[in-house]
Amino acid sequence: MTDFFQQVVSGLASGGVYGSLALALVLIHRATGVINFAQGEMAAFSTYILWTLTTNHGWPYWPAFAATLAVSFAGGVGIHQAVIRPVERGSQIRVVIVTIGLLLLINGSMTWIWSGEVRSVKSPFPTRTVDIGGVAISLQDIGTIAVSLAAVLVLWVFFRFTKVGLAMRAAAVNPAEARLVGVRVTWMLGLGWGLAAVLGAVAGMLTAPSVFLDPTMMQAILIYAFAAAVLGGIDSPIGAVVGGLLLGVGLNLIGSYVDFVGADLRLPAALLVILVVLLLKPAGIFGKPHVRKV
Amino acid sequence: MRTSTVKALGTFLLLFVAVYLLPAFVSDFRAQQFAYVGIYLLALVGLNVLTGFTGQISLGHGAFMAVGGYTTAILMADHGVKDIWTIPIAAGVAGAAGFLFGIPALRLSGIYLALATFAIAVATPAVIKKFEGFTGGGSGINLFGTPELTASLTPVHVLGFELNFNNWLYYLSWTVALVGYVLAWLLLRGRTGRAFRAVRDSETAAVSSGVSLARYKTLAFGVSAAYAGAAGALFAIATTFVNPDTFPVALSIILLVGVAVGGLGSLVGLVAGAIFIQFLPLWAQNVSKSAGAPAVVYGAILILVMFVLPTGFAGLLARLGSLTTRGYHRPNDS
Amino acid sequence: MTRKLGLTCLALAATLVLGVTAAFAGLARGAEDPGVTPTSILLGGTSPLSGSASAYASVARGADAYFKYVNAKGGVLGRTISYKIVDDGYNPAQSVQVTRQLVEQEKVFAVFNSLGTEQNLAVRDYLNASKVPQLFVASGATTFGRDYGKYPYTIAFQPSYQAEGWVYGKYLARTAPGAKVAVLFQNDDYGKDLLNGLKKGIQRSAVKVIAAQPYEVTASDVGSQVAKLKASGADTFAIFATPKFAIQSFVFANKLGWQPKRVINNAVSSASNIMQLAAEGGTNKVVNGAISIVFLKDPTDPQWKSDAAMKLYGQIMKKYAAGANVNDVYHVYGMAVAWTTVEALKKAGKDLSRASLLKAVDNLNASGNPFLLPGIALKTSGQDHFPIEQMLLQRWQKGSWNSFGGLWGYRAA
Repeated sequence: MTDFFQQVVSGLASGGVYGSLALALVLIHRATGVINFAQGEMAAFSTYILWTLTTNHGWPYWPAFAATLAVSFAGGVGIHQAVIRPVERGSQIRVVIVTIGLLLLINGSMTWIWSGEVRSVKSPFPTRTVDIGGVAISLQDIGTIAVSLAAVLVLWVFFRFTKVGLAMRAAAVNPAEARLVGVRVTWMLGLGWGLAAVLGAVAGMLTAPSVFLDPTMMQAILIYAFAAAVLGGIDSPIGAVVGGLLLGVGLNLIGSYVDFVGADLRLPAALLVILVVLLLKPAGIFGKPHVRKV
Repeated sequence: MRTSTVKALGTFLLLFVAVYLLPAFVSDFRAQQFAYVGIYLLALVGLNVLTGFTGQISLGHGAFMAVGGYTTAILMADHGVKDIWTIPIAAGVAGAAGFLFGIPALRLSGIYLALATFAIAVATPAVIKKFEGFTGGGSGINLFGTPELTASLTPVHVLGFELNFNNWLYYLSWTVALVGYVLAWLLLRGRTGRAFRAVRDSETAAVSSGVSLARYKTLAFGVSAAYAGAAGALFAIATTFVNPDTFPVALSIILLVGVAVGGLGSLVGLVAGAIFIQFLPLWAQNVSKSAGAPAVVYGAILILVMFVLPTGFAGLLARLGSLTTRGYHRPNDS
Repeated sequence: MTRKLGLTCLALAATLVLGVTAAFAGLARGAEDPGVTPTSILLGGTSPLSGSASAYASVARGADAYFKYVNAKGGVLGRTISYKIVDDGYNPAQSVQVTRQLVEQEKVFAVFNSLGTEQNLAVRDYLNASKVPQLFVASGATTFGRDYGKYPYTIAFQPSYQAEGWVYGKYLARTAPGAKVAVLFQNDDYGKDLLNGLKKGIQRSAVKVIAAQPYEVTASDVGSQVAKLKASGADTFAIFATPKFAIQSFVFANKLGWQPKRVINNAVSSASNIMQLAAEGGTNKVVNGAISIVFLKDPTDPQWKSDAAMKLYGQIMKKYAAGANVNDVYHVYGMAVAWTTVEALKKAGKDLSRASLLKAVDNLNASGNPFLLPGIALKTSGQDHFPIEQMLLQRWQKGSWNSFGGLWGYRAA
């Protein structure tokens, strides 16, 4: 039985990471209608920035963390303005190809600048493990889950109670009318990308201490994040995080207890989740069904 | 005959001549590289039917290539079927798979369809590996030197010409590709093609005009998957080896890239798209060999092409064309 | 309507021009065998310069640096060695295409030091049929040495993974009777070979493998598997993984509060820099006492500080691979295999051909490879096509590896 709880606990921890990245995906989709295939690579790149500041330049952790967030924000806004804006109103395929181009470009730059070697990244949380009834719970894992939930909360407050949040929601729902009431739509969209980049950076910096940093770190996690976002509802922030946690736990349990799935079909299992959800309830758990008006 | 038919036939004749003459001018090895261009062209034609003409995004056509490729490999290795005969079978199997996928996919559109097909592409290598009794698992299936594979060891005689392996691959791939090209052209200029375009342009309008979404969407999936399957079969024959990693996610992605670069909704630009996806990675390596740099170059060029050629190479041709003629010209819809 | 026709002509002409101009590449034909002239030898190989395995690109880099050093000293019997490294992104389909390019366009003398099990399997039939030597495959898969009869042009180099697993098994059988082993292994030939070797080694002993968890190379982490292995109640943890996942194994074991009595970490992932990462700045006690095998001199091992060979290694790296990580033991591997190649070329003689090279490689008897551990011999003959079959056991103590005991030798049955 302790094994069961152990799998649940570690599933929640990995689920927290999936959820944080899923949150970034959801944010961008809500703001600009784009699925950003490069989200994982952007997150990994941010983590490399943290690594290089703390390791190569000897910065203490928290200032480096803050600087990384700032750079990620600027990067997200910059990428939107420079690369996405010219194509976001055209065909969907074009935008998809552009984000794929970004994926390749950013992934390549990481290898180019920092090589493929595995790196270690400090954790913001102490590395102690607490033993509760035979189940080892590390403070890192608790911290990861807490941060993911906090991120959703902050985002919710931001969208619900601040003027900027309201403006962003308006810009996403109906850009033309939003402009009429004075919302600077382009800046709102850029802001969305900036915030998403920050969320991605947080996801990367939370997971790197356990899984270690290399250019492929976020590739599998991106897939799991897609699954989490679809499961929770591609336009729902709370759905993204809940979806992530559910997915993390679910995959661990299925992988451990269903022999056929084991480790080899863990990723396809997540993808099956995407397929099943898209076919049965495309809006996901928390999403609103998309009604097409004729 | 209508003028459009005449011009199309003329186009095709020129392409035909150029293709069949090329190996005389290039080295053996280049012929093999161009064989891959032919294989990609076949896959791109199919994908364009689905994406460019019917408006359904697919990021999973590498999976249909895998179905075709493995069908060919298993038929050749385990059942002694000669390579050429496996191609139509592979197309059939992949086509059936595509058709079956098309049924549940009816409920999805746009970005959701892209995600669903992406999921299939990512899952494919792992699933292939899982059923290793059937697929040979991670070690894959080797075809080189088997009697079912034409010309890999000794040259083959075709129509009085002696062809070594590279040239044989070239002519085989391009013959199949050109046949596929013609079949697609015939399909698209008729009722089916009009129905596809109706679905693409407005599903609501299509339904109101009596076009069955279910029938045409699943048909488009089936047809494009069949093309991908045939391309996969040729890919397996050309590479002489299949394993789960020979059909990675990247393949599905570059197929969509090829269609976007070639020009959605047009067959003519696809040759350029196929050349792009075969040769750009190699050219990128010439720019810089240091680890990671070629990917940076590739990604940057990809983004640039999407900016500069929003309608792909076909769009470029159209624009060049409008520079060379004066006066009124009717917008063409093919 | 001739506009459309004209456009398509333009497109086709462009295509043709592209094809024709692209054709004006390619080297001049060489002497009898391609790739060899009285003053030069052209070798070629595939390496994962991009993609998930790019950390192994150092194998090719080390070899390249060594060849440059040898060239600077006059080459081998008057010939300089050129080593063309091409990227295959660790994708076997890519390996096939670029290997064919090496053989048919670059016209290399031999394909050398290509990295990866599947990558080499994909081209083995082609190379043997084309009678091109597939020299010193950078993979420990047993098949490369074992299937010599069918593939006479292919030869391996490093100790096979099965041999390595067998050594671990025998060591456990001897020193820890009754041990219960939990194994984490990569779900491909690499991991399975190691596991099979282990099982062979513990045959007829009281040691048992009570749990084995695979993981896919595409996995994000192995936390779930490690938790399952801990739950099995084993006292010995065997890690048959690639570096990133090996590090994770130590880290997750620590996080879960698992302190197995014995830990085995396979050679590919046992380089000092990797162990240092796993040690998490000293807080991770699971690494202490970990066992592995070694056949190369590790640049970070203090016992080689004043070693002449390792000093040379440092100099070569500085001059010909400036900017690369000197502590990366894969560079040493590269130099070891390059040294062996030079020996084989010398033995093949001034009248160098593929046949004479193969004869030399099939009858190797070289000792004194400065990059291998002292006493390890490079030997091939008749039935034995595994050049290196000897290795030492080592234990991780106080932040470095310490080898112990004598050389273990493995004879492929």
